Amino acid sequence: MNREDNKIVAFCCEHSAYQAANKAGRTRLYYPDNVRIIRVPCAGRVDVQHILKAFEKGAAGVLVMGCQEGACQHLTGSTRAKERVKYAESLLKEVGIDGGEVRMVNLAPDMAQRFIREVKEMAEKIEGR
Amino acid sequence: MQVRIGIFICDCGKSLSNIDFTKVRERAEKFQDVVYVDLSSSLCLEEGQKNMLSAIREPDINRVVIAGCSSELKENVFGKALEELGLNYNFLSLANIREQCSWTHEGDVTDKALELIRMAANKARFLQPVEKNYIPVNKEVLVVGGGFSGMKSALELSGLGLRTTLLEAVLGGKLGEFESFYGIEATPEEMLSSMRKAVAGDENIKVLTSAEVTKVEGQAGDFTVSIGRGEEKVCQSFGAIIFATGYMTEILPQDFQLKPDVNIISQRKLVEMLQAPGEFERRPRTIGFVLDVSNENSRLPVLSTLNNALAVKKRLGSEVYVFCKSLKVDSEGVEKLYREARERGVVFLKFEERPRISKEDGRVRVEARDLLLGEEVTLLCDFLVAEEKVLPPEGTEALSSMLNIGTDSGGFYQDENVHLYPVASERKGIFFVGGCKGDSDFTRISMDISSAAMSIYKLLCPGKVMVEVEKVKVESERCRACLTCVRVCPHGAIQMVRVDTEKEVAKIYDLACDGCGICAAICPAKAIRFEGYADEQILAEVEAIGESL
Amino acid sequence: MIIAQRKPLEEIKNMLSGYKNILVAGCRTCVTICWAGGEKEVGILSSQLKLASSGERNGLSILEATVERQCEKEMVIDELGDKVPEVEAILSMGCGAGVQTVADIFEGKPVFPALNTTFVGMPEKEGAWVEMCGACGDCFLDRSGGICPVVRCAKGLLNGPCGGTRRGGKCEIDPEKECAWVLIYRRLEKQGRLDLMRKYYEPKNYRAVKRPGRVKAATA
Repeated sequence: MNREDNKIVAFCCEHSAYQAANKAGRTRLYYPDNVRIIRVPCAGRVDVQHILKAFEKGAAGVLVMGCQEGACQHLTGSTRAKERVKYAESLLKEVGIDGGEVRMVNLAPDMAQRFIREVKEMAEKIEGR
Repeated sequence: MQVRIGIFICDCGKSLSNIDFTKVRERAEKFQDVVYVDLSSSLCLEEGQKNMLSAIREPDINRVVIAGCSSELKENVFGKALEELGLNYNFLSLANIREQCSWTHEGDVTDKALELIRMAANKARFLQPVEKNYIPVNKEVLVVGGGFSGMKSALELSGLGLRTTLLEAVLGGKLGEFESFYGIEATPEEMLSSMRKAVAGDENIKVLTSAEVTKVEGQAGDFTVSIGRGEEKVCQSFGAIIFATGYMTEILPQDFQLKPDVNIISQRKLVEMLQAPGEFERRPRTIGFVLDVSNENSRLPVLSTLNNALAVKKRLGSEVYVFCKSLKVDSEGVEKLYREARERGVVFLKFEERPRISKEDGRVRVEARDLLLGEEVTLLCDFLVAEEKVLPPEGTEALSSMLNIGTDSGGFYQDENVHLYPVASERKGIFFVGGCKGDSDFTRISMDISSAAMSIYKLLCPGKVMVEVEKVKVESERCRACLTCVRVCPHGAIQMVRVDTEKEVAKIYDLACDGCGICAAICPAKAIRFEGYADEQILAEVEAIGESL
Repeated sequence: MIIAQRKPLEEIKNMLSGYKNILVAGCRTCVTICWAGGEKEVGILSSQLKLASSGERNGLSILEATVERQCEKEMVIDELGDKVPEVEAILSMGCGAGVQTVADIFEGKPVFPALNTTFVGMPEKEGAWVEMCGACGDCFLDRSGGICPVVRCAKGLLNGPCGGTRRGGKCEIDPEKECAWVLIYRRLEKQGRLDLMRKYYEPKNYRAVKRPGRVKAATA
């Protein structure tokens, strides 16, 4: 991967975002094709290292997508992911990646429109860089 | 052993027309460690699967990538198919080229499909086998608390054929504090007495009085519980535990600026007096109730006030006034109860500011501004029944911290998730019912008890449970015993154990583990491996993106 | 255990300026437990350094390694020995003891500290560590009910509160802190040992620990 490829790595929790992405597909709603979904059992599985490695390997943007807080099947997973994304943001800022290229998204499994909006917004953001 | 990957691509009945499958097949054959690529139109159908299975045997494939529709629809089916071939079901890696690729992008998506397949193939190179096994579970259940909720739990469990031990300091509980229940013929005393008889006569139920739980170790299916009875200490194993430890009530002096005394009494005292009317020197003319001064969330004060107000009307015929800020009638049957009370002549006065309470000539003087009248109202009553704050039972803080289970803002035990799992607690095999959860609605409590009993039955009845063995595993060599994972696991599935009688390390219990991976992510020593979502597997997916196709 | 924190990236980058080929060495003991210099943090810092230098020609080349305990010579040699000859400099993510052990062994290579070693402490809760001990060499804990006034009292007093304690038992100097002597009083009260607070204690002998300190076991 190279940053110029504008690839977005989306870590998607299988209980929420992964389902939302599927719903987007079933309802034939289109979004940019530069997103690559990596399925995880819970947003809480995603660690700071995964996010940094994604950028190191050339990702232009990273989305961490999990359940809405309070609705996480594993209670604290979403919240932990949020904290880690915040920390990753500060680490990336230290190396000049500072334009919102990493983002935490909380959504419910039926929120196809929201999923698409987040992907589109991230795609626009990295394009404009 | 050399990894040999077989890629099976499904074009979904030739419907995924924006993917050039010929090109995909050509390129996929060149991916690292791939020895076989096949194209089908119906992998989910029997014929497609048969072809796939025979294809796997040929070039001795030992990792399978399936590219097609969304995983959760077919995961189990394909997993079983692999098992039939003698391949571990975890050697399966899936690429979603339908819902998350073909159906959702305009134009040609061949390149993306190829990349998704490559990601799955790269991950497959690092997959390791996971075994499934049965672990035995103990069918005995422990119920802690001998009040209404506890006894009902034990009786329901017994009805399902499960042997139960019922632990209590004293059999009875708070039910006896209600004089009567509107809408229910039997008095609480009668209800309790018949339950006590049923429990005593039930051969599936063993009652231990004057006993308490001092420690709980282990996991669902095999909890080791230490029980203390006076001087004696006993250790016993149970498959599941229901806590029905009730609640406490307390009149908070700071709410009233005065202490309970002869004329200012608790609900319980009122009930006692009602049951022995000869106690009264003379029939009280006026009895007042005060509600909602302490911002109470529990419905219990309303329930007891309305029930007891009605009881006063029936037994003593006194004038009854209820001062309240708001009346929470959203429990089952309470609106009707409220209406009945009003029809019987109970007067409700609504205040905004806290009423001022003082003593005058041996009676209690209550002054408040009634919202509807818009005027100051002064009442002199013979007795004032003060609102009691509903509190979690004694020992809740200690017990919840010992069990690693959260409590809510009121200090009561909390449901695992109010929306998704309203009956279970955060730990598998441990349930809380009744007053100790802050509940006071009979119907709700009875339903909770039935749910809990059913869940326990499902868990324990077969006598053994199938688990994925060590799917998430702590590598004891790397473990630093920093306790981070133990503290962080939302399901309380990790405990410290001694290995080789020397080092203390963390151990993940398969039955209680719910597969979230929070521990694997947070372990500072990177000692926890989550098979299927291990670091190197996730990284393999990331690295496969963008590699030249 | 020893608690440390990573230095700001700018500072680390400045140390490394001019070097193209480095080894980042972590430690699996104290700094792993306080999330500062374990294998994970080595990986994160390496990613950051690579990202920071990705624009440059001949970007940074990084080897990663984590020693079981960086203050043990044998373990350092074991883990790092074959990697050091390939690099120009070593960035140690160990505590001060670890950094110096590595530096003493590989004298020919510059060894840089990625962490600031801060104190001896314990976890208050997951992810948060608090200082408990100042390693003063003259432990006072028997007289203060197990609460160290040297470190937990802002003025390091040995003879009771300074008189400036704020309402709520907070420290005069740092209102976020609890007054250590209030804590000590309450602790001794619980144990019925308040008489200890009536005694006068001589000022601390700060020469009890000669720097650098040396301890030798009698049976060595």
